[in-house]
Amino acid sequence: MPSTQTPPLAGAALDPTALRPDIDDAVIERVEIAALRARLEALKADGYAMLLDLGAVDYLERTPRFDVVYHLLRLAPQRATPEAIGKPQRVRILCGVPGDEPHLPSVMDVWKSADWAEREVFDLFGIVFDGHRDLRRIQMPYTWEGHPLRKDYPVRGAAAERSPRPAFALKSNVQAGTPPSGETLAALQDQVKRAREGNAT
Amino acid sequence: MSLSTQVLTPEIISQEGNAMVLSMGPQHPSTHGVLQIVLEIEGESVVKAEPEIGYLHTGIEKTAENLFWSQAQTVIERMDYLAPESNSLCYALAVEKLLGISDRIPQRALDIRVMVMELTRIASHCVWLGTHGIDLGAISVFFYCFDLRENILDMSESSGGARMHPNYVRVGGLNGDLPAGFNEEFDAFLTKFPGRMRDLRGLLQANPIFQDRTIGIGILSPEEALQWNVTGPSLRGSGIAYDVRKAFPYTGYETYDFDVPVRDEGDAYARFLVRLDEMEQSHRILKQVRERLNQPGPVMIDDPKVAGPPKETIALSMEALIHHFKVVSEGFRVPPGDVYQAVESPRGELGYYVVSNGENRPYRIRTRPPSMYNLQSVKSLAPGNLIADLVVILGSLDPVFGEVDR
Repeated sequence: MPSTQTPPLAGAALDPTALRPDIDDAVIERVEIAALRARLEALKADGYAMLLDLGAVDYLERTPRFDVVYHLLRLAPQRATPEAIGKPQRVRILCGVPGDEPHLPSVMDVWKSADWAEREVFDLFGIVFDGHRDLRRIQMPYTWEGHPLRKDYPVRGAAAERSPRPAFALKSNVQAGTPPSGETLAALQDQVKRAREGNAT
Repeated sequence: MSLSTQVLTPEIISQEGNAMVLSMGPQHPSTHGVLQIVLEIEGESVVKAEPEIGYLHTGIEKTAENLFWSQAQTVIERMDYLAPESNSLCYALAVEKLLGISDRIPQRALDIRVMVMELTRIASHCVWLGTHGIDLGAISVFFYCFDLRENILDMSESSGGARMHPNYVRVGGLNGDLPAGFNEEFDAFLTKFPGRMRDLRGLLQANPIFQDRTIGIGILSPEEALQWNVTGPSLRGSGIAYDVRKAFPYTGYETYDFDVPVRDEGDAYARFLVRLDEMEQSHRILKQVRERLNQPGPVMIDDPKVAGPPKETIALSMEALIHHFKVVSEGFRVPPGDVYQAVESPRGELGYYVVSNGENRPYRIRTRPPSMYNLQSVKSLAPGNLIADLVVILGSLDPVFGEVDR
């Protein structure tokens, strides 16, 4: 069963990130994969010391299919009071990743915190971070197949794949209510008929 | 599949030289949930530690993508189950930004949101302090903390209708106004709190055993804290005064007078003191909220696209019933766009990156889980410490696994 949420097919709605840049929450930049590492390292040198978050979005019908989203935060790296830190600033880096071969350079060596974040994106979206030292599944069991947060990943399994009911449930009243064969039905009708006749006499 | 035998490969139990590999958890009382830490130990001291998470993964983000905007809030609130309101507030703020109604939320709703946030912060810190005490053998602290938390849960029940997951904060305002008699309950709590706080400090702060176990343990330097993306009290224990309430104010926090407690030491004791100070600052904010609560007013935005009709009109007017039916059965649509919204949850910067494609369901909700990033720093905090101190380090980071695994 496909996801109950079908992505809209209209061209503009395929990329909601381009539509409302005026919501004042961060400075937004879109970079290409080739320029990603250089841009992130430059931002880090510029004082964006914290990789706040690293996530991904799947725009199924769009090219490139995925967006990997970096949120960076600028803070003074030394011990500081709120006044010395000044006004912190967030920046959001969006990076399109193709769907057929989702590869992206890892930033684990720039920020240690990217370790688990990249593993999570790999686990749930199947985007491979080249250069990550320990790219394993993190949330799903290691034997899992598929990447659950992709939009073409089903929300529910097919009924046949659901775990079978326990033995006592199989012989429950569900079957008793629906006669399995004509024989039982005939027996029931016969019983009703005899009951009526008995009442009449 | 037997989890323990599948995940623990033979080399984990094997011995190599003097170092031994050992698994701590996932069923370990001091891991506060289901966390497994694979340790390489030499004698009693930790050489290497690698937390393995995901035992509580329930696919909340995937579930939320297939619910209406208002329904998604219900599952999102279950991420950080010790401070549920911080989740729902952060989500509501993000959706309000996408809807463009952020500046039209009634003042009373903003005041009550601040109250709910600070109460949940105190309640969450109470659980942390109680369990942290138990980890270190100080059992009586737990009962004092849970008594205080019980008052907050009672208030949550009378305001939102449930003790743990009230879903009180809604997109556009609140589920309803505070009930009659709430202010008295709130006053009683505000009066009781300082004395109870003195008790808690008296039990632990100058306790030589507690100090021995926490001072100098798990030192997190400011540089390391930034590298590991640690936020919240754990970051402020390392000397960086970053608090989302001050840096990116929301729901009117800029109008309140409060300090951001900071400690320079960076050890478990510093994080302990920061959290205690934070509880007192929350009390300070709550006292300011209490004065504003005397002002009556609406608690839900006057926008029929987002908010349903007042409950009492539904039984009297057919239009109100149709309106109610439409809002509940179809949800509201949110204009396309993406937004990142963060709040200061008791554990740090909780953020949601929400993408809408114009439908009545969220396209994607990405959580920035503070617990997950804080917990990750164990990898550099644990080596060199004793196993017993690892328990202290874990407790001082205060992870909640509903949020780590989601």
